[in-house]
Amino acid sequence: MWGPLGELAPTGDTEALASLAQPWVFERLFSLDATGQLKPGLAAHVERLSGQRVRVELRRDATFSDGSSVTEEDVVRSLQAGGLQVIQSGGGLIVAPVDSGLPVDALLLEARIFRQSSDGKFVGSGPFAVVSQTDLELRLTRRIPQAGHVNEVRVIAYPTPRDAFAHTLKGDANLIIDLESRWLEFFRGVPSLQVVHGAGRTTDAIAFNFALPRSERVQLARALESQRVRELAYGSAECAESSGTSDGDGILAAGPVLRVLSWGPFERLALATRRALGDRGGEVAHLPPQETLARMKSRNFDLVAVRPLRWPPSGMALVWRTGAPYNFFGYSNRAVDRALDAGDWPTAESALHEDPPAAFVCTRDHLAVVDVRIKNPVLGPYDPLETLPEWEIAQ
Amino acid sequence: MALLLAALVAASGVLPLVILAVLGLQILRQRGERSSQEALQAIAEQAAARIATYIAQQREMLRAVGMAVGNQPDAPRRLADVALDAPSLGKLRLVSAETPRGGFTPALKPEQIAAALRGTEVASDTYMAELSPALDVCVPSGRPGSAFCTTLDLLELQRQVQRIRVGEKGYALAFDRTGKLLAAGSGAMRAAVLSRDPVAESPLAAALLTGAAAPPRLRNGEGLDVLAGWAALPALGWTIAVEQPAEEALRGARTALGLLAFGAAVTLLLSMTVGYVLVRRMLAALELEERFRTAGRIAAGVTHDLGHRLTILRQIEQLAAMNDPDYLPRIRESLASEVSTLRRFVTDFSDLTREAKPQDFLPIELNTFADSVLAGAQGYASEANVALELQRAASELWVRGDRYLLERAALNLTRNAIEASKPGSRVRLRVDRSDGHAMLAVEDQGAGIPPDRIATLFESFSSTKRSGVHLGMGLPNVRRIVAAHGGAISVKSKPGEGTTFRLSLPVNGSQSSSPSAPATMP
Repeated sequence: MWGPLGELAPTGDTEALASLAQPWVFERLFSLDATGQLKPGLAAHVERLSGQRVRVELRRDATFSDGSSVTEEDVVRSLQAGGLQVIQSGGGLIVAPVDSGLPVDALLLEARIFRQSSDGKFVGSGPFAVVSQTDLELRLTRRIPQAGHVNEVRVIAYPTPRDAFAHTLKGDANLIIDLESRWLEFFRGVPSLQVVHGAGRTTDAIAFNFALPRSERVQLARALESQRVRELAYGSAECAESSGTSDGDGILAAGPVLRVLSWGPFERLALATRRALGDRGGEVAHLPPQETLARMKSRNFDLVAVRPLRWPPSGMALVWRTGAPYNFFGYSNRAVDRALDAGDWPTAESALHEDPPAAFVCTRDHLAVVDVRIKNPVLGPYDPLETLPEWEIAQ
Repeated sequence: MALLLAALVAASGVLPLVILAVLGLQILRQRGERSSQEALQAIAEQAAARIATYIAQQREMLRAVGMAVGNQPDAPRRLADVALDAPSLGKLRLVSAETPRGGFTPALKPEQIAAALRGTEVASDTYMAELSPALDVCVPSGRPGSAFCTTLDLLELQRQVQRIRVGEKGYALAFDRTGKLLAAGSGAMRAAVLSRDPVAESPLAAALLTGAAAPPRLRNGEGLDVLAGWAALPALGWTIAVEQPAEEALRGARTALGLLAFGAAVTLLLSMTVGYVLVRRMLAALELEERFRTAGRIAAGVTHDLGHRLTILRQIEQLAAMNDPDYLPRIRESLASEVSTLRRFVTDFSDLTREAKPQDFLPIELNTFADSVLAGAQGYASEANVALELQRAASELWVRGDRYLLERAALNLTRNAIEASKPGSRVRLRVDRSDGHAMLAVEDQGAGIPPDRIATLFESFSSTKRSGVHLGMGLPNVRRIVAAHGGAISVKSKPGEGTTFRLSLPVNGSQSSSPSAPATMP
């Protein structure tokens, strides 16, 4: 990979490359299968008490990588660090969000169980443990080696994509993820590598300032969720959407010129948006991410290119519920909130469609290039590399 | 024997064809290699032409955009929109003398920028941007002191080169002016595109731009033997190489060669099998024919000799029928002679049936043996008024053998010599060691044997004496006996001077006067 390696921690900066190792080192109480159903992790049993509360019974055999047992206190402390409150109840734990507006499922998926030692280091109960870390490399080994599986992982931070690609092509690295499809050309036909696709969890979208009237937001959504915008911004065959979108001829009523904010990889999407707006397309401001975020928080925008969570369904609550941690757009819809609080994702989705906070333009696959000796390199469904411990190596 | 004959016949028939075919295929192989190289060359030239066309189109589009947008009031917005319609044109910027250095495209030199601001179109060399090749270009904007500049993204060209396939394993490479890879169809060489490491072809590619020739066959960056076609784009500084592993390019000729070898082997085997069967049949037929011929010869000889004897016996019978007592001594004498002759006749046949058995051989001292032969022939020699003499070897000379058979052979030669000698002449037996062999020679001073008879002398039933007592089995039987003892017989004869037969036998060197050896056995 390329970019700063950062520190591996159970919480915090998920942009750092080291966070790729989170699922291998720190377990969650439960994870999701590809259909979005809960799968036991550290929890032996999960019982949903309401949309906001679950009761959890812990596995008794779990140990941290330092050999100590995972206790209820460790779990309580870890969940509290993840914005959850925990009540011990008759051999189990009742878990609910501190902020009653957030879905407990989404918060539990983000919360990893850990223990922090006196020297500040974190240990987890996952199959891998950290052996060493430098500025450029994080090295992990499997706690109990398994024949035919990956037993040692080195997360290497190369300075540029070019370095990362070159070293992967040379065979110095066996895996590279978060590729744009245009770069796959480099890896096709390389006998030692295979290209792996996984469903993406986010969607490239144009979010609306909630101050815009609902009718206008509906028109904007119809105009922008179109094949035309998609092709202009991404080219053909890049996005997963194939249905449920307009043909792009939605009529946008006359009105004020709309400014479009963009940052990072969204410049073309912003330009395509402006073109789709016709006479109402205004200035496209392509800004650094922090400046974009500041303008979003101050509501100093009309439209902004963003990449919100789309999967799992409970993830919607983290973005679109009133006051949710990633709701930078001021969006507030009681019908959506009620459905999210009740864990009724289809109703929440329908309510979002009725009063759209954004035009969802393009959902792209996770793309990875993996050493051809890996037999079953499945990605995701939640963290792209959470399945790596199950990957098998051809003998 | 049959197999050898069959192999020889088959090989002599098939091998010339195989040699001709191999030569033909070698010529075909060379032509195939040449035509493969020409095909690769053509592909390289086509790719180079497409690249040149693509670059020309991109620059033409740039000029068109410059002309269309340059004087428009909303030029910046229009320029930004170009990225949607023509992503390969990159991010177009209107630059002027006031534009900070960082606002220009990175690969243009200051003098090129100055020229661009004066209204001249300029372009940099191709270089590797982050992940794909790029080319910086400035075109006139139509406004004094300014120009439109952009970095052309040549990803599409890189893709085009990398997608070129020749056969299953052939691919294309693109090099920049310094010989570094810009695109590689070979996955194994693609790392060098990004790492900018030189590959085996790098110096060849760089040299091609200076007019040097590039080899049509070489070891590529992976160490494979490849055929290659080359094309250069001097204006752009690109070189295109299209390579195909020789093993794949020449597979057709190799397959044909393999098939031919297989076909030749099968044909040879088939020919040998058929030949073997036919030769065996022919040999069997020849053997049968030879047996009939031999039987005929024997029958002719026996008929002739016995007929002669019968004639004499009939004459004796007629003489006896006369009941004249005066003829009685003559009748008795003639009958004794005929009985003796017929006994010899029977003995000759009997000798033919006796086989020499090496396991029964005994040591024989040849000087003593020659004495015995001499004694055996003395009576016959006296009747013919021929003197017999023996020249002994300087020391004892031992051989191993069947004494009876060897004596029959030596006596046969001696009696032949006596018969060939004129009365009053001499027959000499000579014992000697020669070339590590024991030798017994029988020399006469007779009329000699005509040279044309020498060659068939040892063939069965070939005697021309036809005196009534010679079946023509004597000398062939002598040769059979000597050969069975591991020895040989030879003859030298000069007409008018006499004949010498030499029996040569292996010396039984370790043998001395063993008490058990019947060295003096008569």
